[in-house]
Amino acid sequence: MRKKFSWLCLIALFAFILMAPAAHAGKANDTLNILHEIELSSVDNYFNTDRWGVVLCHLLWDSLLYRDLKTGEYKPNLATSWKYVDGKTLEFDLRQGVKFHNGDEFDADDVVYTLNWISDPKNGIKSQNISNWIERCEKLGKYKVRLKTKTNFPAAPEYIAAVLAIYPHKYYAKVGPDGMGLKPVGTGPYKGVEVVPGKSITLAKNENYFAASPKGKPSIGKLHIRFISEVNTQIAELMSGRADWIWRVPQDQAEKMAKMPKITVEASDTMRVFFLHFDAANKKGRNSPVNKLKVRQAIGHAVDKATIQKTLVKGASQLLHSACYPSQFGCTDDVVKYEYDPAKAKKLLEEAGYPNGFEIEFYGWRNRPEMEAIMGYLNGVGIKAKIQFMTYAATREKIRVGEVDMAMNNWGSFSIHDASAFTGNFFGGTTDDNARDPEVIKWLEIADTSIDPEVRKKNYKLALQRIAEQAYCIPLWSSNMNYAYTKDLNFSAQPDEIPRFFNASWK
Amino acid sequence: MEIRPIPPVEEILGPSPGRLLRRRIFGHKGLMIGGIILAVIILFALLAPLLSPHDPYVQSLTTRLSKPFWHGEGKWNHPFGTDHVGRDYLSRLLYGAQVSLLIGFCVALISGVIGTALGVVAGYFGGRVDMVITFIITLRLSIPFVLVAVAVVGIVGGSLKVVIIVLGLLLWNRYAVVMRSATQQIRNQDYIPAAEAVGCSTTRILLSEVMPNIVNNLVVVATLEMANAILLEAALSFLGLGVQPPTPSWGLMVSEGKDFLFFEPWLITIPGVALFVLVLAINLLGDGIRDVTAPENR
Amino acid sequence: MLVYTLKRLALAVAVTLVVTALSFGLLYLSGDPASAIGGEAATDADIANIRKIYGFDRPIHVQYLTWVGKALRWDFGMSYYFRLPVSQIMAARIPATLILGSSAIVFALVFSIPLGVIAAIRPNSWVDRTALFLSVMGQAMPSFWLGLMLIVVLSVWLPLLPPSGTEGWEYFVMPTIVLGYYAMPAIMRLTRAGMMEVLASDYIRTARAKGLLPGSILFKHALRNAVIPVVSVSAVQFGFMLGGSIVVETVFAIQGMGYLAWESIKRSDFPTVQAVILVFALIYIVLTLLADLLNGWLDPRIRVT
Repeated sequence: MRKKFSWLCLIALFAFILMAPAAHAGKANDTLNILHEIELSSVDNYFNTDRWGVVLCHLLWDSLLYRDLKTGEYKPNLATSWKYVDGKTLEFDLRQGVKFHNGDEFDADDVVYTLNWISDPKNGIKSQNISNWIERCEKLGKYKVRLKTKTNFPAAPEYIAAVLAIYPHKYYAKVGPDGMGLKPVGTGPYKGVEVVPGKSITLAKNENYFAASPKGKPSIGKLHIRFISEVNTQIAELMSGRADWIWRVPQDQAEKMAKMPKITVEASDTMRVFFLHFDAANKKGRNSPVNKLKVRQAIGHAVDKATIQKTLVKGASQLLHSACYPSQFGCTDDVVKYEYDPAKAKKLLEEAGYPNGFEIEFYGWRNRPEMEAIMGYLNGVGIKAKIQFMTYAATREKIRVGEVDMAMNNWGSFSIHDASAFTGNFFGGTTDDNARDPEVIKWLEIADTSIDPEVRKKNYKLALQRIAEQAYCIPLWSSNMNYAYTKDLNFSAQPDEIPRFFNASWK
Repeated sequence: MEIRPIPPVEEILGPSPGRLLRRRIFGHKGLMIGGIILAVIILFALLAPLLSPHDPYVQSLTTRLSKPFWHGEGKWNHPFGTDHVGRDYLSRLLYGAQVSLLIGFCVALISGVIGTALGVVAGYFGGRVDMVITFIITLRLSIPFVLVAVAVVGIVGGSLKVVIIVLGLLLWNRYAVVMRSATQQIRNQDYIPAAEAVGCSTTRILLSEVMPNIVNNLVVVATLEMANAILLEAALSFLGLGVQPPTPSWGLMVSEGKDFLFFEPWLITIPGVALFVLVLAINLLGDGIRDVTAPENR
Repeated sequence: MLVYTLKRLALAVAVTLVVTALSFGLLYLSGDPASAIGGEAATDADIANIRKIYGFDRPIHVQYLTWVGKALRWDFGMSYYFRLPVSQIMAARIPATLILGSSAIVFALVFSIPLGVIAAIRPNSWVDRTALFLSVMGQAMPSFWLGLMLIVVLSVWLPLLPPSGTEGWEYFVMPTIVLGYYAMPAIMRLTRAGMMEVLASDYIRTARAKGLLPGSILFKHALRNAVIPVVSVSAVQFGFMLGGSIVVETVFAIQGMGYLAWESIKRSDFPTVQAVILVFALIYIVLTLLADLLNGWLDPRIRVT
């Protein structure tokens, strides 16, 4: 009798265990289970610096403009039309009849409040440069605003479309960033259901999303986002059917997973440019071999970028030769290119006074295998590189103060399709500029502030050509991004690294 | 009248203590197995330059992730396949033995010296000294060791030296505790006050009377801590704080291999099994030494 | 007994203070809090400003004492990363770690004590050797490897258990095994040694001579006495597990204190790290204090030393 009972218990236990999984099965209950590796510091768009913040920006909120993926034009979103009144002034007509998730009506007060609040340095938003070009925003009518910029800023529409989410002014004035971080409210295609800080975010379709939006109408009912830092655990979740969508899958795993029946793997190029960043200007006076042009050129010839890109980076990535991403306005490939030529590299080193090579510390925080590959090539010409793999925050600081001779840096330009977001950032005399070339700085200033597109293109070209000729940096490749998701999902990845879940649907 | 021959000394007195010890050692299966495996691994480590088919640092991107010989596509020029940048895995395994064993020995040595000194002094002098040292031991146990590791690595950068120093300075607590209680037991034996009465200096007493009697405890703890250090190195590598590539160490190889767990499992399994065998062997050896030298068996 | 208790208590407080002071110092050595808060686009002027606002320019012992004062009221300030009070973040994470730690120690005890008893009854038999081998086996693998292998076998090949998260009891099965396995050898050996010693003692022989059944001898007399040192060792092991939980929580994506500590260290989120260290230290100290007191109460000889 006892034996029978214990067998029954065992069977019941097993049945229970077998029934337990698939509690969150994607298509079955219209919920897309998404995994991301880095915990978001806050859901508030202006108080996080992780890529997922940009993703949420487009899910929960809208901005005045929206960049069309195919044509690159700035379509009306919360603004119905816009124009440049002069070099430093823009005017927007706003859309009527839009409501926030909490029922508040959208009008000029919200735009004025949001843009003035985020450009006020005392509010301390995390990335000052997305708003520090704004002088002030003024209300001209219930549905009309004027935006004044501090200097001529031709990239304004791009910044507006990319990252400037419009907040409900009454709600934000009441709850502030802390409240918005826990209970986000916006006009976007998805609304916040639950935020468990550091653990998960649940969003639900906004049934009342305004039909005229260029983003289209959302289809998937719920988005459940979880944070898991260990890549292998993410893959296990996807393979066992508990998760439906992951990204940043390492290349080797992605290729194998593509063969699995229930999973789709999509490779996409990204705007994330990887490059070797040198302290050419000897910022701190530490005197390093890379202060010399010939050494930098030697390094350019020593590394077989093409082979690394073909064997390690793979996917949809591109080999790059210029200090910008090809789709950015002003970017050109018509510059000096450093081909793989170890003999030439050794000769240049000899001419520079280093016939036996030298030792150097090589900093980085991502894509370690590629760093190791580069290190191997440098070794081949006598440059003994020692990898220092630290966190982004620590390394970036060191690079800025001039304590890093060489780093494998990468920059996604906040997905802004304008050379000012990359070239301007690293060579325009900013804290990130380790070249400090007065000519380049001059050209970039003209290019960044002129409103004549031809003038801009000409000056960007001059700057890029000099940067390449002086080897202030050695561009490597654009990063490939692998997305892996369940076969039940219609989804298409974009090079701006902003997954558009509002355009996704079940098959 | 028949004269019975005098039996040999051993028959009258019994086997000598040395003989007894040797008999016990060779009779103890665990100790023998552990000892032999460890000796083999040490041998491989020492002969690595001779046995490795390739240089463990040379990378070759076009032959990366090749399979070991027991897979269909495996080739014999890379018997254990290659890793994610094309380095020969067998060579890395052999050279890695050097690094892992080095870490184990050095850490055991450093922490052994610190811990034994603290433990013996605490056990011998007792009183205030004991209180202070016990305080220090509790202190050490209350600090999560990851924090120290990160702080040090953040300042100095990760490397073999840093790993050895950090582990050496943190893993002395078991030595201290064991040696302290062993010394306390010895303290009350007759020969200690006898030595004091004769006028031996404290140092002399500690070195020639106390130490020899507790050295078997030391050996047992040392073997176990050696195994512990080797495993902790793997944990540090998992967090990115340990030995840096391209230096091969089994812990680093296991950590690098984890990203290939699903489709190229040999990258994690080979060094993982090697680590497992090494740690197991050391544990068996340590347990065996404890069994064989325990006072009840004397 | 009272004197003993007070002495132990004073020791505990002293240890807590020194640990927090040390961790305070170490953290400041390992990174600049001002640039951690400033974030990406902060200029040097921004960072200097932050330094003034947060008081990083005050001497370090002043900063430390201010922190201690606030900590006594369980106020650990605001996290530099999340815009939330540290005490609130910790309160959300402690349950997972406590559940994990407790189930790990229970798992270890449930398997090690019987194994130790069996090994003690038949010393040097194949049962003894196998028990020892089993307990040492799990300890000879790096814990993240064991964890990932369990995930592969039990989540991917056989979809029995979920790979990560904390939504129900089944989520804790694998992490418990990985974390608990580590404590097994120590507890098993101790139980075995203790049982063997007790079984050979006089009063057990007397009980046997009196004609008591072996089963009741085992449980009523021997085990009760052998278990005493196991209790204090378990307390210590629980403390160790808090450290080992970092790897386990990372692999299984359990949002607990270990994972919080590690991520906060990486992000230079100092207030959170200091608070977590304090809590870890407190848990460990309280446990050893209780273990000491228990030992002192049970065995009067210990109180004298």
